[in-house]
Amino acid sequence: MFNKANGSRGFGTEARHVPPALDATEAALQAHERDKTLTKHHFEPEEHPCVRIEHLMKTFDGETRVLTDVNLTVWPGEVVCVLGPSGSGKSTMLRCINLLETPTAGHILIEDHEITGPLPIKEVNKLRQNLGMVFQSFNLFPHLTAKGNVMIGQTKVLKKSKEEAEVEALKQLEAVGLLDRADFKPAQLSGGQQQRVAIARAVAMHPDILLFDEPTSALDPELVRGVLDVMRDLAENGGMTMIVVTHEMGFAREVADRVVFMEGGVVVEQGKPDDVFDHPQNERTAQFLGSIG
Amino acid sequence: MGQTSRHGRGRFAVALCALACALTLLAPTAAFGLTTNKATARPNEDGGSSVIGGLPTRLTWEGTVDEGEEVSSVTLVLPEGSSFDGTTTKVTVLEGLSRAQLEGEVKPATQSLVVVFSKPATAGLLLRLEVEGVLFPSEGGDVVVRGTYVNQNGEQDLAESKPIATIANTPLQALLASLDANPVVEAWNSSPFLGMFFKPQLLVTAFATLIPGWLLCLLIVCIAYPFAIILGLIFALMKISRNRLIRAIAIIYVNVLRGTPLFLQIYIMFFGLPMMNINIDNNVLGVIVIAINASAYLAEIFRAGIESIPPGQYEAASSLGMGHMMTMVNIILPQTIRRVIPTVTSDFITSYKDTSLLSSVGVMELMMFAKNLTSVSGNMTPYVAAAIFYLIVTLPLIKGVTIIEKRMARSERGGGPRPKVKAKTAEGVTGDPAEKGAEPSLVEALSAPFRPATTDIAGMGGVADVQ
Ligand SMILES: Nc1ncnc2c1ncn2[C@@H]1O[C@H](COP(=O)(O)OP(=O)(O)OP(=O)(O)O)[C@@H](O)[C@H]1O
Ligand SMILES: [Mg+2]
Repeated sequence: MFNKANGSRGFGTEARHVPPALDATEAALQAHERDKTLTKHHFEPEEHPCVRIEHLMKTFDGETRVLTDVNLTVWPGEVVCVLGPSGSGKSTMLRCINLLETPTAGHILIEDHEITGPLPIKEVNKLRQNLGMVFQSFNLFPHLTAKGNVMIGQTKVLKKSKEEAEVEALKQLEAVGLLDRADFKPAQLSGGQQQRVAIARAVAMHPDILLFDEPTSALDPELVRGVLDVMRDLAENGGMTMIVVTHEMGFAREVADRVVFMEGGVVVEQGKPDDVFDHPQNERTAQFLGSIG
Repeated sequence: MGQTSRHGRGRFAVALCALACALTLLAPTAAFGLTTNKATARPNEDGGSSVIGGLPTRLTWEGTVDEGEEVSSVTLVLPEGSSFDGTTTKVTVLEGLSRAQLEGEVKPATQSLVVVFSKPATAGLLLRLEVEGVLFPSEGGDVVVRGTYVNQNGEQDLAESKPIATIANTPLQALLASLDANPVVEAWNSSPFLGMFFKPQLLVTAFATLIPGWLLCLLIVCIAYPFAIILGLIFALMKISRNRLIRAIAIIYVNVLRGTPLFLQIYIMFFGLPMMNINIDNNVLGVIVIAINASAYLAEIFRAGIESIPPGQYEAASSLGMGHMMTMVNIILPQTIRRVIPTVTSDFITSYKDTSLLSSVGVMELMMFAKNLTSVSGNMTPYVAAAIFYLIVTLPLIKGVTIIEKRMARSERGGGPRPKVKAKTAEGVTGDPAEKGAEPSLVEALSAPFRPATTDIAGMGGVADVQ
């Protein structure tokens, strides 16, 4: 009724002059062909991508066109780092994927399941369970302890028993190195600790895909490492599919299977980290990477 | 309360007398006998009209000597617990309107008083005994003056007097009496200002008298408030609804109630409803008016509280797959409640004070009692006592709001009590269901700011990250 995040589903009046989503098998084959040189991901035979973004467009207030034409495919277990200057639409793209923003046009398919277009709210909530999100500003629930934050989604959404949820919560808190802070309120934790709790909260839902929106940007430099270590562990040992918007070049180079560079609402360049960082094809990418240093 | 039962007792006494008179008329009367005209006691209640047991008063007894009778002595007897000790008695014998040349010698004993006349009192003489300093039984009740007299035929029984209604000598009455006798109090009261606003005796009386009114105030506001909170919450949610009609209804409700004086709302409800033949008990109606009025203010408080929750909280909840209601109940409202507790408490204080307006329509609350006592005593002190009764409740609440606000400001900065750091063992992972749940409950949310800091701060790690 008044949930700001849910927004209204369905499309605006803007004309949808984009081609329809491709047939799943066909699309998988095409994407495979396109991506095989762009990612370090090891393709399985007949693997289908878990996220397919086709011609995604998003305008705010019917005028500011934030995403013009985004095309991106993410494979199961792949770690994709999204780079780009401020205002290039990285957050908007990420938020479109779990429908925190409603795409204006184009298609997003999760596990070959179209999520763009009018969806009943139950479907949307179901979908979001499979998409964990970690925010730049943590967004922990301040009235709950660290453990409570990790438990609430399990008990309320997954309807797990309290005991089960608690076991899981403590396990996830231990994984992020915060077992000893389980009973702390967010206000009593450092930014880095809060972000690790937020990661534990997302992971405890056992999503298929984790979305990170600049998870370390709000942190003091000395706290960044702890969070990145947790993310690296998730990627390397957890085999989690991750889309990470970040300015941490070192992390992207080491952990990412693929680096995506966005600018002006489109993906201008993507490829294996070493290729993009060392031999950027696009002028803007080179410029951006140069300025970042 | 006390007043009504005292009236009741009076009425009862009158009825008894009537019955007694009727009986005397019916019964065959003796050839002659000293008639007891009256037996009265002077009120000894400060600012009141009651006779209090156990405190000195003046007993006036009058009798008329019958035709052919010669009375040589009269003995008055009071019920057990009374005392004539230390009394002084004025004996007056009247013949028509003039004094008769007749002296009386008075011999007080504890329960009885003997008056022996210098020569026998003859027919038609009026005997009047005014006994100063009599103590009636301190437990109160109806006092009947009995006794005997001696005429030429020997000792006769005196006709029983009409009962004198007395009230018990409570510690309060004793205190009042001691205040009356205190010279410091007397000096205090001689100051026009102090005597008018802070008369100790009246302060004491007012405290005792105002209690029912004070309790009614508390009762009204305490019953009204939970309803106000529920109504307020409903209208707050309606106000931020997407539905334009629902929003409009809520806006009209809130603005009309906030835009008109409570006094007017009270008048409309108390005089309007009876005209529509809807008759509701005054106290219940008082609760309803206060609840409705407060709900409008609370709706605004809650709405502001809900809107102050950052959108990131909705997004985080949504990203976990929570639906709208689930988010509201588990995430938004618990935080809102914490945030609005100080404001809601202030509003509670306002509502509590607002109950005073109900006195204008005859609800027997604190102000009503104070008003009555002031008009009886012609003194402002009862209003001061009422002020104290209001402050007894409001001052601690005001203090409480300050404490909560400080505590919340501190905890928002990351200060405040911290739980003990648990030993970093894998044991914890097995889970301990007995442990205090991490479930957010409304009760927990409500009580959180009030809970004492029980947790141990010693041995705490700072906020520095464990690398
Ligand atoms: N709700 C909104 N309403 C209107 N404009 C918006 C909204 N959200 C984002 N924008 C605009 O969309 C553009 C892209 O925003 P976005 O947050 O996606 O950029 P970004 O790439 O994440 O930048 P940053 O690196 O600074 O986070 C910006 O110009 C921003 O002003
Ligand atoms: Mg962003």
